Amino acid sequence: MLFSVHAFIFGLGIYRGRMIFISKEAAVIPSVIAIILLVATWILSFVHFKSAQAKESGRGFSYWDIVKRKFFRDKKGITGAIIVMIMVYMALFSPFLATDDPIEMNYSNSLAPPYLNHPLGTDNYGRDIFSRIVFGSRVALGIGAGATLFNMVFGGFLGLIAGFYKGITDSLVMRLLEIINSIPFLVLAILVVSVFGSSPLTLIVVLGIFGLYPARIIRSEVLSVREEEYISAAQAVGAGDFRVLFRHVLPNAMASLLVVTTMRIGVNIIIVAGLSFLGLGINPPTPSWGAMLQQAQEYIRIGWWMAIWPGLAIFLTVLGFNLLGDSFRDVLDPKLSKTSLQE
Amino acid sequence: MLSYTLRRLLQLVAVLFAVTVLLFMILKMAPGDPARIYAGMTASTETVEAIRRDLGLNKPWFIQYYRFISGFFTGNSMSMTYRTPVREIIMERAPASIELGAFALIITLIVSIPIGIISAVKRNSALDYGLTVLALAGVSMPVFWTALMMMIVAGIWLDILPVSGRGELVYGWSFLTLDGLRHMIIPGLALASVQIAMNVRLIRSSMLEVLQEDYITTARSKGLKESVVIIVHAFKNALMPVLTNLGIQLSRFLAGAVLTETVVAWPGLGRLIYESVTRRDQPLLFGLTLLMAIGFLLSYLVVDILYSFVDPRITYD
Repeated sequence: MLFSVHAFIFGLGIYRGRMIFISKEAAVIPSVIAIILLVATWILSFVHFKSAQAKESGRGFSYWDIVKRKFFRDKKGITGAIIVMIMVYMALFSPFLATDDPIEMNYSNSLAPPYLNHPLGTDNYGRDIFSRIVFGSRVALGIGAGATLFNMVFGGFLGLIAGFYKGITDSLVMRLLEIINSIPFLVLAILVVSVFGSSPLTLIVVLGIFGLYPARIIRSEVLSVREEEYISAAQAVGAGDFRVLFRHVLPNAMASLLVVTTMRIGVNIIIVAGLSFLGLGINPPTPSWGAMLQQAQEYIRIGWWMAIWPGLAIFLTVLGFNLLGDSFRDVLDPKLSKTSLQE
Repeated sequence: MLSYTLRRLLQLVAVLFAVTVLLFMILKMAPGDPARIYAGMTASTETVEAIRRDLGLNKPWFIQYYRFISGFFTGNSMSMTYRTPVREIIMERAPASIELGAFALIITLIVSIPIGIISAVKRNSALDYGLTVLALAGVSMPVFWTALMMMIVAGIWLDILPVSGRGELVYGWSFLTLDGLRHMIIPGLALASVQIAMNVRLIRSSMLEVLQEDYITTARSKGLKESVVIIVHAFKNALMPVLTNLGIQLSRFLAGAVLTETVVAWPGLGRLIYESVTRRDQPLLFGLTLLMAIGFLLSYLVVDILYSFVDPRITYD
């Protein structure tokens, strides 16, 4: 049921996305969001399925059942989930929520303060800021989540093999991380984006490949998991490396993977906003929160509303992901509470 | 200890070498012809060719790479937009970044240490919960927006703080004058805001760990005052992770400075990075990024070595 609803939204998102965006490249974004939403739905149904299964078998509370109960009792997590949901649905339904065209300019109406017909005011080109923020959520979430997906695939894979094979593989991966970490991520992102350009798809891939931070956490998780007896048991039965990694190691590193993913989305959203703010990210006229803030800089004396709302949108979205991630950490695994908040 | 330090230094050199190769590769892939940029758009083809020969751009890549490296270490490489040695430009801009970073670091420590301790001592209380959420909020704020908001509220509406620039300078430093100090408040607070939030969480969790140790119980049962137990016995031992983070924090300040310095027109190294990217000034960009990497790796090493001094239980080898 949930699946078909999201599949419908998925199609709709692509369709409407094409119609509204000028650049063809940006049309990729709604589909990215829809894919992320699908993945989220799968995870949720997985949790639900597992806990239902446990109940049926009459073995009392399963791990996922406890997770679910704990999560619904955590105010932080619920608040975060609500914020994230609002933002995700805003991104998918932006053509229906926006009251105005986010791109077409109307000079006769420029820099109008917040008022009834323009609840958040208009910018220096006379465009409705509310509508631009609504559409900007596509860029933020689409690229943020898309880049995180790449982060997890690349970083997760590197972390897995480093922790599992140890020895030379491990030290190679660790050196690679050290090399990339020695340059602050934002500076690296600026460099790379200035070379490879800044279409949404390039941003996703570039941020995805260079943001290898998750590797470190996955590695340390795998290092502890691989010493467990069920791993040697699986190996003794004759399971190959591939099977052991994906059937036995990965599921047990799932908790930290989920926490890191959630928090990483927040980091990526801030990085994309920062790049756009410097004029190196999303190009105008495609509405993005970072670029809106860049534009607002020149008008802080006469149009404060241009600067407040996009930043508030970034702040709320990232806060939502951070609250959610923090709550996941508390709920999924008490061991994790020691890992630091960000890189 | 000495052999450990030497080994680490060797490793550092190897990593640095890889960083230079990575940087060089990225820069070589950049679109646009450096010679054309150097010559200007109106220059004739002959001039561009002459400049290409001059800059060694017609040579094979390993010679170009050698020129980049040797230029960096001898301080001879010339900026393409400023037409002066890279070293001079960096030296001129460095004080602005150093003082801003130091200022932000001081604010970070002053604010985060007491808050971190309080939320660890009153763990799981409403106060602790509130502070946790506040810390999460702090991490979620983009620095450039924080700076913009402070500029609007404190600089324009209340009109109590200057909005941009460095103010009055003495010997190239602005923290020596009152006007300069006032200019530092907005960028300093913006830079500190994220680090404060992260530090609070760090101090809280490391304090919580220490507070469960046996010697804390011993200290309490000896009849020591709670404040003495917490500050002398617990905090001193909870300081380690804070120290580790300090080195990383310094380099994070530089990264955050790219955005903050751009917003408030603070002429430091962060802004210089942004400028050199937009103007495609490759030698300058190479020098700046490499310097940053060296600073980061060195601070990591120094922190590791300091460790063994702070905590005699730690030995390497």
